[in-house]
Amino acid sequence: MSRSKRIILLVDMNAFFVGCEMARNPALKGRPVAVAGNPKNRSGIILAANYEARSFGVRTTMILSNALKLCPDLQLVPPDHQFYEKVSKEVMDLLSSYTPLIEQNSIDEAWLDMTGCQALFGPAEKAAKTIMKDIHSSLDLMCSIGISENKFLSKMAADMKKPMGITQLWQDSIKEKLWPLPVASMYGIGKQTAKRLANIGIETIGQLANFDQLILADRFGKHGIEMHRRANGIDTDPLIPRREDDIKSIGKSTTLSEDIVDLDRAKRVILSLADQIGITARKYNKKGRTVQITIKYSDFKVITRQKSVKATNLTKHIYQAGKELLEQVWDTALAVRLLGITITGFDEEKDQISMFEQLDSYLDNREEKLEKTADKLRNKHGMSILKPASLLKNEDKSH
Amino acid sequence: MKIKCNQNNFLNSILTVQKASSVNTTLPILQGILIEAKNDHLVLTATNLELGIESHMNAEILDTGRVVLPSRLLSEIVRKLPDAEIELEVKDNYIVKLSCLNSVVTIQGLDPEEYPALPQVSDGQKLELNQKMLSEMIRQTIFAVAIDESRPILTGALLEVSGNTVNMVCLDGYRLALRRGRIEKAQKDRSVVIPGKSLAEIAKIINDDNIDITIMVAENHVLFDLGDTRVISRVLEGEYLNYQQIIPSEYKLRVKVDRDILAASIERASLIAREGKNNLIKLNIKEGKMIITSNSEAGQIYEEIPILLEGSELEIAFNARYLSDVLKVVDDQELCLDFNTNVTPCIARPISGDQFTYLLLPVRTFS
Repeated sequence: MSRSKRIILLVDMNAFFVGCEMARNPALKGRPVAVAGNPKNRSGIILAANYEARSFGVRTTMILSNALKLCPDLQLVPPDHQFYEKVSKEVMDLLSSYTPLIEQNSIDEAWLDMTGCQALFGPAEKAAKTIMKDIHSSLDLMCSIGISENKFLSKMAADMKKPMGITQLWQDSIKEKLWPLPVASMYGIGKQTAKRLANIGIETIGQLANFDQLILADRFGKHGIEMHRRANGIDTDPLIPRREDDIKSIGKSTTLSEDIVDLDRAKRVILSLADQIGITARKYNKKGRTVQITIKYSDFKVITRQKSVKATNLTKHIYQAGKELLEQVWDTALAVRLLGITITGFDEEKDQISMFEQLDSYLDNREEKLEKTADKLRNKHGMSILKPASLLKNEDKSH
Repeated sequence: MKIKCNQNNFLNSILTVQKASSVNTTLPILQGILIEAKNDHLVLTATNLELGIESHMNAEILDTGRVVLPSRLLSEIVRKLPDAEIELEVKDNYIVKLSCLNSVVTIQGLDPEEYPALPQVSDGQKLELNQKMLSEMIRQTIFAVAIDESRPILTGALLEVSGNTVNMVCLDGYRLALRRGRIEKAQKDRSVVIPGKSLAEIAKIINDDNIDITIMVAENHVLFDLGDTRVISRVLEGEYLNYQQIIPSEYKLRVKVDRDILAASIERASLIAREGKNNLIKLNIKEGKMIITSNSEAGQIYEEIPILLEGSELEIAFNARYLSDVLKVVDDQELCLDFNTNVTPCIARPISGDQFTYLLLPVRTFS
């Protein structure tokens, strides 16, 4: 039986944030431009740089002052994440018109399963050209496209030629094209893993591919087997279409700067986390019925406790439940190193507006309005414009 | 008791009253049909204590009397008898002998004295309604009646008379259907809430004839008198919602759309929507077109239909069923949909006339 080969495209937007800014303001085109954390604050970092800026050596995450040394004429634009998200959605919508099977990997890249689409868009390379042209003409943005038979190889292929490159990387050519590359350039391998691989003499993807899988498994666990397979061009992961509606829970945790035993400090941490997940929950219009807290003690022992609440996405209610849970389990004899809070049990039906709503939840609606207004203000003026008062006090103390 | 009647007439009468007989009940007698031979005709009665139906038919009365026969068995036997004369005779111990051509069937009957009498409805407010209009009024509203018993009054339909107008209103908390009708003779204001289940059975009995039906509204019951058939229903106690408060009088945008085109698109989108958890359809109303989309685990759908838009553009989402239900019952070709925001009611109605108004509440998805 012949194994039918999949056709997977990875579409990677080139210098996406800067691309969005140049599409919005064409006057920036042709000049070195970077989106930077906060241009006024000279210690900010570069979030994205266009290819003109890159030719001066400007790189993402570089400190602003260093970037300006390399390229004094660098045009700086403050980031506008809402705008990038909007453009990202436009890109994803456009890609969705080519295939329904699409997995968004990040704000600026997505895998497309084009298996069986040849009849519609021709061979993979022709389809990729059409998509690239479409993105360029309808959104004025650049992208690179990798074509292969699985997610991993298509991702590696897309990185090989930027900007506006279309690269095919099939399994039968990995010896020449993939193996000579350093392991650090492999998708899924970070700096730390690369260092540990170097310690056992693995510097190229080829060396990794030919290394003993058992030793890798022993040293890196499941991840070791996975990277060995990938280095050999094997990746059977299916595309998982993700949608906003799929959110099952919203949570946030933080490792404290020092272990704490003070309940009031813990409450303030939970309030700050509740505030953050509340914002996310309201953004996606998700109301949860269960609030859960996570506590990791200094001995790394973890406990979770949960509590049912009336379906909510209000910071006030999430915090209230979190606070009660904290009070129940707090033990001053145990030092805490991490705190987390999660809201889950999202209620779908609740979104249907009812004629009795106003009677039933007049007060809730008022609270919701208040918190949504706060969200809007924070969206416009930054997260620090509004904070629960107890967190403000906290800040004063620490400064 | 001994009578002779035509098989077809008898069957029709049985089928009419059977709608009120109980299927599952703790009172076995209610599973039966009361058959009474009066001096010059036969009366069949069935009731489940909420709804009662009485049917009068011609028969040759040889001997007056009464008996109760099990409803299901009787209807199945009579249905299978040939279209000829049936002779029905009550023997001792309520044993009933049915003869028709070469068939003779004996059935065990029940004591008629145990059968509950239908409530007398004689001193209420009288109302003459065109049968065809009443049939339409029920059809165009009853789908919006509440199934959920949490607010019992909403499981009924409001029948409201005022001057020359008569309104029927059903609402379930998420949508509302209102059908207006006209009556010749002005009436004093009166309203009654009729159980949805009763009304559904009444709709099956009344026909589309252009003749009048007499409705008598009493304290606890309402009677529908069709001449040969009388239907008596209990009414629901309690205050109905002040529905007029819910219907907005102003709108920010108005969409005019062809019913068939909209209905076809909504039907297709519903196929995808129903696979999802909340049966959601999104409408993106733009100048000159409405984009209808739905996503679920099963897939996604995109529909574009031509519209006329007055006012600003809007994105709004609805439960697919609340949209498709109404499109099945409106007869007019052109509809208009009025909106204010995506979290306030949408009003759907035919472009001409004010006979029909449908209100539906959206689903919050765009914040």
